This record gives sequence, C-alpha cells and structure tokens, in this order.
Amino acid sequence: MTDRANNPLESGGQLLHNLLLFGRVCKTLGMDVTPNRMIEVAQALNYVDLRNRLDVYHTMRAMIVTRHRDLELFDQAFDLFWQRPTDDWRVLDLPAAGDERQGGLKALLPPGASPSGESENSQPAPEMTLTAVVPTYSQHEALRRKDFAEMTAEELSAAKQVMERLPNTLGFRRTRRFKPGKGQQIDLRRTLRDNMRYNGEILVLPTVAPRTKPRPVVLICDISGSMERYTRIFLHFMHTFASSADQVESFVFSVHLTRITHAIRHKSIDRALQEVGTAVRDWGGGTRTGDALREFNYRWSRRVLGRGAIVMLITDGWDRGDPDLLRQEAARLQRSCHRFIWLNPLLDIPDYEPLTRGAQALLPNTDDFLPLRNLANLEMIMKALQQLNPRASGRPAYRQLSMNR
Amino acid sequence: MYATVDSIQQELFQNDYIAERGLATAIFLSLKLGKPLFLEGEAGVGKTEIAKVLSRMLQTDLIRLQCYEGLNASSALYEWNYAAQMLHLRLLEASGANRDAMEHELFTRQFLQSRPLLQAIETSQSGHPPVLLIDEIDRADEEFEAFLLELLSDFQVTIPELGTISTDTPPVVIITSNRTREVHDALKRRCLYYWIDYPTFEKELRIVRAKAPEVEPELARQITAFIQEMREMDLFKAPGVAETLDWTAALIALDQRALTLDVITETLGVILKYQDDIDLLTTDALTALNNRAILQAQTESMTG
Repeated sequence: MTDRANNPLESGGQLLHNLLLFGRVCKTLGMDVTPNRMIEVAQALNYVDLRNRLDVYHTMRAMIVTRHRDLELFDQAFDLFWQRPTDDWRVLDLPAAGDERQGGLKALLPPGASPSGESENSQPAPEMTLTAVVPTYSQHEALRRKDFAEMTAEELSAAKQVMERLPNTLGFRRTRRFKPGKGQQIDLRRTLRDNMRYNGEILVLPTVAPRTKPRPVVLICDISGSMERYTRIFLHFMHTFASSADQVESFVFSVHLTRITHAIRHKSIDRALQEVGTAVRDWGGGTRTGDALREFNYRWSRRVLGRGAIVMLITDGWDRGDPDLLRQEAARLQRSCHRFIWLNPLLDIPDYEPLTRGAQALLPNTDDFLPLRNLANLEMIMKALQQLNPRASGRPAYRQLSMNR
Repeated sequence: MYATVDSIQQELFQNDYIAERGLATAIFLSLKLGKPLFLEGEAGVGKTEIAKVLSRMLQTDLIRLQCYEGLNASSALYEWNYAAQMLHLRLLEASGANRDAMEHELFTRQFLQSRPLLQAIETSQSGHPPVLLIDEIDRADEEFEAFLLELLSDFQVTIPELGTISTDTPPVVIITSNRTREVHDALKRRCLYYWIDYPTFEKELRIVRAKAPEVEPELARQITAFIQEMREMDLFKAPGVAETLDWTAALIALDQRALTLDVITETLGVILKYQDDIDLLTTDALTALNNRAILQAQTESMTG
C-alpha cells in the first residue's frame, strides 16, 4: 500500500487529472462511467502500489468495466492512454474515437499485439491514425450504400462494426403474461390489497397489461455458388445477430440444409466460421431451395417456429430444384410462421426481375420481398420490423415493409 | 412397493400398458430414487398414459397440470379467492373491525384455492403421495420452467400470508414434452430422461390387442402392419399409437373385418391430420402400401 502522505492522488499532481480524463475517455467509448465511480476508482487506487502498472491496470479494469464486450476496448484504451509520453501524444485524439464506438478502436492494434500492460515501458506507441478508422459522414453514407459484393476487406470489417450496432430484435410479440399497467384486465390481487386502506370500499381498480417479448427469429441463408460473394458478410451478420439476441436459430443451405445455431454462437467470429465450415458439407454447391425448405419444415419447424417466429430467407432465387416442391414447402413454411421474409441481394439491381422459376415459385408465398445488398437495406429492414405492432396476429399486411424502401 | 424392473413391467402390462424394458427401468428408478421422470417423444406415443397407469398401479390420485404459455403461479400453485375475500371484507367492515383484524381474517386457509402443484404437496402430506403429471411442459414458457425447477428441488411452497407448506414424501412426478422447443438442461438434469419412440410391430400389435380385445387377430395384424408401413413414408406427421388405436376403434365401429382400399380411403382422416399427407396417398400409393402391409401381416402371423 502506498503511503498516504506521498499519495500522488492527494498531492494534487497530474495523476488525478489524468485519471479523470481517462474516465471520460472510457465514457465516450460507451462504458458506464459515472463521477461517483471515478471517485471510487481514486479511492481504490490508494490501496495499490501506483508504481506497479499491472496492479493499477487491474484495479481500473475491475472498477470501470462492467460488460464483457468492453474488456478488449478498455485494454486498448488503457494501453494508449497510460503510456510514456511521446512526441506524437497529442495526435491520439482518444475522445474523438469514442464518437465512433467500436468504429475503429477494436482494430487499432495490429493483431497479436499484447493488449494489457505487461511492462511499463516496452510497449511502443502503436502506429496508427485514428482519423482513418473513424469514417466521416459522407464516407459512412458511401459505406451504407455500397454493395456488399463490391466491398474491400477494410470496408467489410467496417460494415461488420456497423452491424453490431443494429437492433438485436426483429419486433415484439405479446405474451400471455401480464404486468401491472394500463390494460383491460382487472388485477384482483392488487384490487384487494390497495382497497384495504379504504376499509374495504372498492375505490381503485388496478389493471394489468400484457407483457411483450422479442419474437424468435429464424435465419436461413443460401450459401450456394451463386451467392458466394455475399456468403461471408451474411455469415457475419448471422453471427452478430445470433450473439446479441436471445432466440435465434440459424441455418444455411445449398443442396442440403445445415443447422448452425450452435456453431455460430461461438464468441469469436473466426472460431464460429471455422465451426460452421466443419458443419457444412456443401459450400458453394448448387441450389435446391425446395429440398432445403422441406428439410426445414419436416425436421425443424415444429421445434423452432413456436411463439410467432419471424423467418428470414436470404437467397438470390436462383434455384435448380423442383419449383413445385419449392412452392409447396414455401407455402407450408409461410403458414407456420408469423412472417416469412425473403431477402434478395440482387433485388436492387436496376434490371433485376424475379423471373427465374425458383423466384416465381417462392415469391407468392412470402410476406415481404426485400433487397439486402448493402447496410442501408439491412438497417431499414430491421428498423421497420421493430415498429410492427406486437398485437398483430395472423398474416401481416403483405409487403408492408417494401413501401418504406 | 416394486422390488424389480420385472415386477414393474409386469404390472404395467396388467394395466394394459405395454412398456419396453428401458421405460420400465426408468419408471422403476424414478420411484426408487424419488426423482421426476421426464418423457419426450412424438405426439401420441403414450407419454401421458404412463401417468394414468402409474396412478392406478400405485392406487393413488392423479393430479394433472396441463401447461400452456403464460401459465403462472396463480394457475399452477395457488390463488386467493378474491371474490370471497371481498365479500368477507364487506361483512367485516359492517361489523366494524379494524384494519389489522381484517388482514388477519382475510388471508386464511379458507380463502386459499389450491392449484395442481399445491394440491400435490398437500395430498403428499397425508403420507400417500399422488402422481403429479406436468403435461406438455414445452408449451409453457421459460419463466414457468424456472419456477418449476425451484419447486421440484424441495417440494415446498412458501405463501407469504400463511407460511411454508412442505412434504417429506414427495409426489411421483411425470413431466412430458412434445419437443416443440428444447426444455432447459437445468430442468432435465433433475429428472430421469426417457425418449419414447414409435413402437415396433410386435409391441404395437400387443398394444392394439390389449386396448381393443374385441378386434379380430387378423385385422389387428393388418392395421398394425399398415401403420408401420405408413411411418416409413416421408410424411409431415406420421401417425402415433393414439392414431392406431383411434383407427382400430373406427374400423370396429364400422364393422370391418379386413382392410379394404375403400375403407382405408374413407377413414384416412383418422390417421393423417395434414392435407398434404393425405394428398400424398393417391389410390396407387395406398394400394402399394396396403399390399406391403398385407404381406408383412402374413409373415408376422407365420413367424409369430
């Protein structure tokens, strides 16, 4: 423990100032930092040896970070902030990085760089230019409009970060459970309790309102040859979505259907993709959408389509299977879910018309037919689904979403 | 009670339930260890029936809780009888009681309505534990599962106004699921698990004979063989044992002695519940199916 008399925190040195500054950096990075918490951090630092960088690091980490996903971000911020002053110190405009939370900082350090402060001075200042990874508005707009298939590797990783900020539900449903609130049904238990104070005269009638819950989501993605350019980014989307939402079932198909719900839940995207790779036997093969949907209907629908699920089928509609089978199975699938949405990466191409046999068979049996070619599409779809009325049961209004395009 | 797996199997048979060895073992262990039995399987393979048979065998009550979404403590455990309480409240008010007395009088056993789970605990207190059937747990939501988990671990209920109700002799618990969703591992871990499959030809024939003793042996064989063949087909919903028995009853009611194509076509709705599946069985397909069934029934009758 440090001697209190010599405590730099209390002697009015730079440390306290820097500590508070670091707190603000963490806050702009999206961590839950309050002034109170910073006072506690300052108090806690009284009890550790301030010369030991590792102890300081762990103290701050334990007190500032409250969510697992912030750990990595904190590590990088810590390393950047608490380093020996160098000449280019001023260019580390850290708070600016916070404006684009996760919009770059995660990728700041070269892969393999040790994030934590193992030693005080061996860590060289990473070479980086923060401005490059924080897209300006127009860059951001361009990214949103860019076809997934034409993205460069950097743009893809930026796109993934945008995906992480998308809502993690696709609309809500009413459950059969109730909570106190304004509603039709009288809460007898509370009626009795609340009216005891009026000596049994019934003066107030508390009611209950139904609770809502996120709808279960089923993602079925085409990974056949014709979809190759989009497969990777869609798998990333499935990974992001599946790891942030509760009830998500993920499937991929080309000739056969493969359930990848468990494989894709892996925390690291690389491990997840690797596991998916081992699970799937027919990458880039031909497309038999009808057979895949049939397999889904027979084997999985009863287990994953309960509770008003939303099914998103991502395919370009190029199909080599039997169109009659596809028509029949798509119709069956549509009947057994709340909303059956076909997302097509080709739809926004000016001359594209869904004229292939597969598309013709599929189209009449879907509730929505929407483009999924860029981030703007994805954002629009997810936001529109959020706004749907949780009460609505039965068939939703057809192509309601398309009007917002 | 039952000393061996054999005696259980025997006794089940006496009660017209044909159980294979695995199921008998699971039931035996469930009774011995006092652990709930978790039964999964396709619809109509006799999951619920086990609880009924077991309550007959043990000569005890059957308390059934049918699960559905939104099932909560007030429909599963207990509920105060608010209407009666409010009436009583008015009476107390008229008699000029003070508020403490009101509270004291209102929350007594007299106004408590036991729901299945509390009933099971209360019945168990008499030393003669009932069979508690928690049917189709997959229809309830996760919240209820978590609640059940707590109850199954110590069979004790605390009612804030009354105190704790518990039992030393827990009920025999049977939980069934049709697997329309996966039930949480934590719940399964506390149970013995058994998957009930579609029965083999011999077993199904025995079930038909046991449940419908009046059926002609030849017809019983044909029915069983037909259903068995049908399950081999690629159907959206294959017929369960319940359908076999319904069909048998239908054929008996129609005074049929043998399966003919006409009768099969007319009664197909008893076995198949999806239009797509019925469409799949054209006259040709039915003829082929029936021929195979007749052949199988004959071989079985020779070997059996």
